[in-house]
Amino acid sequence: MAKYIIRRVLQAIPVLIGITIVVYAILLAAPGGPTARFANNPRVTLADREKFKKAWGLDQAIPVQYCRWMGFCNPSVDGTFLVIFPRPNAFLSDSGVPHFLPAAFGGGTNGILHGDLGISISTGEKVVSQIQRAVLPTIILAGSALFIWIALALFIGVYAAIRRYSLFDQAATIFAYIGYAMPTFWLGLMLIFTFAGPGLDILPAQGMINSRLSPPFGTDLYWKYFAGHPIDAILDVGKHLIMPVITLVVVNIAGDSRFVRASMLEAMSQDYVRTARAKGLPGRVVIFRHALRNAMLPVVTNIGLEIPFLFTGAIVTETIFNWPGIGNLTIDATRNFDYPTLMGLLLIAALVTVLANLIADVAYAFVDPRIKY
Amino acid sequence: MSEQMRIVAEGTAVDRLSPDIRPDDSGVDYEVGLVSLSQWQLAWRKFRKHRMAMIGLGILVVLAFAAIAGPIFLPFEFNKVPVPDVIASNGRPPSLTHLFGETGGLQRDVFQLVVNGARTSLMVGFVSMTIGVLLGTFVGSIAGYFGGRIDNFLMRIVDVMLSLPLLFLILVASRFFGNGNVFLIVAIFGLFSWMGVSRLVRSLFLSLREQEFVEAARAVGVGDARIIFRHILPNAISPIVVVASLIVAGNIIAEAFVSYLGFGINPTTPTWGNILTAAQDYLLRGNWWWPAFPGLAIVLTVIAVNFVGDGLRDALDPRSKA
Amino acid sequence: MTATAPRPDTVPSGRVASAPPPDDVLLDVRDLRTHFHTMDGVVKAVDGVSFSLKRGESIGIVGESGSGKSVTALTVMRLLDIPPAEIASGEVWFDGKEILSMPISKMRLLRGSEIAMIFQEPLTSLNPVFTVGDQIAEQVRQHLKVGKREAWDRSIEALRLVGIPNPDRRVKQYPHEMSGGMRQRVMIAMALSCEPKLLIADEPTTALDVTIQAQILELLKEIQARTNSALMLITHDLGVIAEMVQKVVVMYAGQVHEEGTVEDVLIEPKGPYTLGLIESIPGVEKRGGRLHAIKGAVASPFHMPPACRFEPRCPYAWERCRTVPPDLYPAGPRGQIARCHLHTPEGAARLPIMEADRKRVEEHVMHSAPTAVLEAG
Repeated sequence: MAKYIIRRVLQAIPVLIGITIVVYAILLAAPGGPTARFANNPRVTLADREKFKKAWGLDQAIPVQYCRWMGFCNPSVDGTFLVIFPRPNAFLSDSGVPHFLPAAFGGGTNGILHGDLGISISTGEKVVSQIQRAVLPTIILAGSALFIWIALALFIGVYAAIRRYSLFDQAATIFAYIGYAMPTFWLGLMLIFTFAGPGLDILPAQGMINSRLSPPFGTDLYWKYFAGHPIDAILDVGKHLIMPVITLVVVNIAGDSRFVRASMLEAMSQDYVRTARAKGLPGRVVIFRHALRNAMLPVVTNIGLEIPFLFTGAIVTETIFNWPGIGNLTIDATRNFDYPTLMGLLLIAALVTVLANLIADVAYAFVDPRIKY
Repeated sequence: MSEQMRIVAEGTAVDRLSPDIRPDDSGVDYEVGLVSLSQWQLAWRKFRKHRMAMIGLGILVVLAFAAIAGPIFLPFEFNKVPVPDVIASNGRPPSLTHLFGETGGLQRDVFQLVVNGARTSLMVGFVSMTIGVLLGTFVGSIAGYFGGRIDNFLMRIVDVMLSLPLLFLILVASRFFGNGNVFLIVAIFGLFSWMGVSRLVRSLFLSLREQEFVEAARAVGVGDARIIFRHILPNAISPIVVVASLIVAGNIIAEAFVSYLGFGINPTTPTWGNILTAAQDYLLRGNWWWPAFPGLAIVLTVIAVNFVGDGLRDALDPRSKA
Repeated sequence: MTATAPRPDTVPSGRVASAPPPDDVLLDVRDLRTHFHTMDGVVKAVDGVSFSLKRGESIGIVGESGSGKSVTALTVMRLLDIPPAEIASGEVWFDGKEILSMPISKMRLLRGSEIAMIFQEPLTSLNPVFTVGDQIAEQVRQHLKVGKREAWDRSIEALRLVGIPNPDRRVKQYPHEMSGGMRQRVMIAMALSCEPKLLIADEPTTALDVTIQAQILELLKEIQARTNSALMLITHDLGVIAEMVQKVVVMYAGQVHEEGTVEDVLIEPKGPYTLGLIESIPGVEKRGGRLHAIKGAVASPFHMPPACRFEPRCPYAWERCRTVPPDLYPAGPRGQIARCHLHTPEGAARLPIMEADRKRVEEHVMHSAPTAVLEAG
């Protein structure tokens, strides 16, 4: 098992390097590049623009920029060698050892390899700390949605499969068609109208906390407040969670319940289920022990492959409900052409995807005794 | 009786019977006569029987009509403000003169906006799908047909592209390159829609290129391009058509979202996403009709596309019955 | 079953059970009709089948695929999904009880304990995610009310009984870790774990290698003799029948075509279809060396011939076969019956033609396929 995981991780490395190149290429190919945000601002002079470029190292050749971003190159060494390559001495840190080594061994401190994703152009804050701040709200939102939607999708899918063509099954089918076609953000808007609109103003439409009651989420003050009034704080977040979670659940449950249903029907039509019935086992043992266990095999993989879509879902949902998470940060960064932040976010999203695929494979191998490494 | 059966039947007990009690051949054949139909005739016959698919097709035809003819009857110009002197803070609910109600602010007719939005949304969905399918088919054919290093290289690119969240890429690309231009946005959506198709086409090619008819074509000296386009691709069309319907549905929703965020098509062009952007500020005032109708239009369109996709899948599946 | 009088065509749908069979009869199937409701119409998969089986006796049910032999077995087990299946009429008496009208909860207690079934495909019939021990112990615990430990020991014992080497190690293996023959042994061990009175084996050797087939059949015979359980063997292979059973029911298109003792049916077949089947055994080919096949294909369930269902393929058919549905007529001294007009006064004139064919085949069988029939005799 350990060998298999190591092999899979090693296989993922070229993909990850490819991702960094693609990410970098996309963002740098943009017309006007990172300075596009000033394009229509008359107060920013050409000289200002040059100064800005120099400050962010944007005046360097693209391979140099890429190597600095990755952490292979020392940002204090400018210029190129043979037109496109960073100068050889740029690969050494100030203390003279290879720059990519950890800082503890005298290596550099900048770049992905050193856990540094650069500085946001729009806020001047470190990208890493921006992302750190946004991760917890996203995990709270996506985690609770994931939990509820998997539980519901399993219930609906299994029940619809057992009672195939029943009223419940047909209702689930119609619901799935509509849910599949429903734009997440429009559902969010309609929920806001229904539960936060003038008629029935019972749920908060925006944000994660009631700013009149508690300090901004994630700050030290907030945690102090949390320690003092834990129940109030949890209830407050819970209330803000309801609509975003419903939005994510409704949209995602549609496809998943269909998938579980199909998988369950497939399992129920297998010979071993007939054998189980021929053994005289009660119906619930046949369904829940013999059929469901097998039906879960593809479902496990499917869930693993869906985790990256949580990110996409978060972008949409967080924007509508102004949830201070990764998705919201993404939209802000996109709006401000904040390319260091976007690159950091894309990289993390890709990492999560690669990791989720790996987990899905390992989980599959774990639940299916037929898989050998 | 088929040739094979004739051979098998020869030499059975029949020919040993004396002629007076040998069974006559009349009434022996209980097989049903089959009229042979071409693949597409057969598919259309199956499709027609698929009730949901026909409903979906009907909705799409109506929408296409609205998209093409609608702007002629209900033209929309951004600068033409219908009631310029009345800038009400609230819209008006649906009435007989304004079926879908009126917007807040400039008091525009929501029905007019939705009809005009249909053109953009359908165009984005179908044109970007066409770009994506052509590109994906091209890449997939090359990877699958030639295999080896080319295949490996192209598929690694697909792997990389697919491990990035697609909506994120589309958002960023639209913001950085889109410029609010409809055609650029369509191109961006197309450029991010090919990966799935190329994987599919590649896998189809990998199995099809080993089949005898391809080997036969190669043996008589048919060129690579001709084998790809005349011999293999026609056999790969049905799965591609099904995936294409999924791309249309996905891109219509994604375009609406990108435009809703203001990164997509210029806000002066009515698209379903743009209408929703403007509507959102009026939501808490209870102007439900403003966002509801463009949203319902999206839902209806996507459901219709999905129904048609389901119908196509069943109709093009040679194993399903007519 | 020796009664040749036509049975009543239908049984009231309330299924008022008639009199139980004599005590020595373990299984009595009476006028069973199982229909499937499909999109294209009703398929009468089993259409008026009757036969019976004494305690400890073995019966073979023979026919091509689609003849309704497996559906008969699944109906007896009540394993068909209703709908699309429907048991239109008939009674099944097992051990003095009518089991089709039994509540399904009671039926469940019989399945696996009194009636056990072995399926054709041992790989797909075993659950891939549980060890074989789990799967046997599960059945033991369900019916015998024993503890986990004892059930486990019993499954090891059951594996030993069916000749699996190292049963205490094998019991912890998953089905995919075993060979096809081993898996079928596991299926047999599972079926026998609760000492059933009736064992139904549906094509138990079809999916196995020829060499393994003989071993498995030997095992089934041996175990049947030891436990004195009755055996209902479903197969399309007449060779298997000859070695395994005392009584044969030949099915065609959902009906019994011929029934009799194994010697009578295999050596002196009275139904033209049975004769065709024997003729098509590899090794019974005619002098020309070409394998014989019955002409045509099994009648389509949607386009059943109006009278005799075998008529379109039958070399002896004449006008009457296209107009009057044949019944089962007595055709031999030891209770042999056949669904063929040749055994009525109207067909008497034509019977010698089939008899001549039969003699030719019989001579040939005696010379070229001794294993198929002689052992049975």
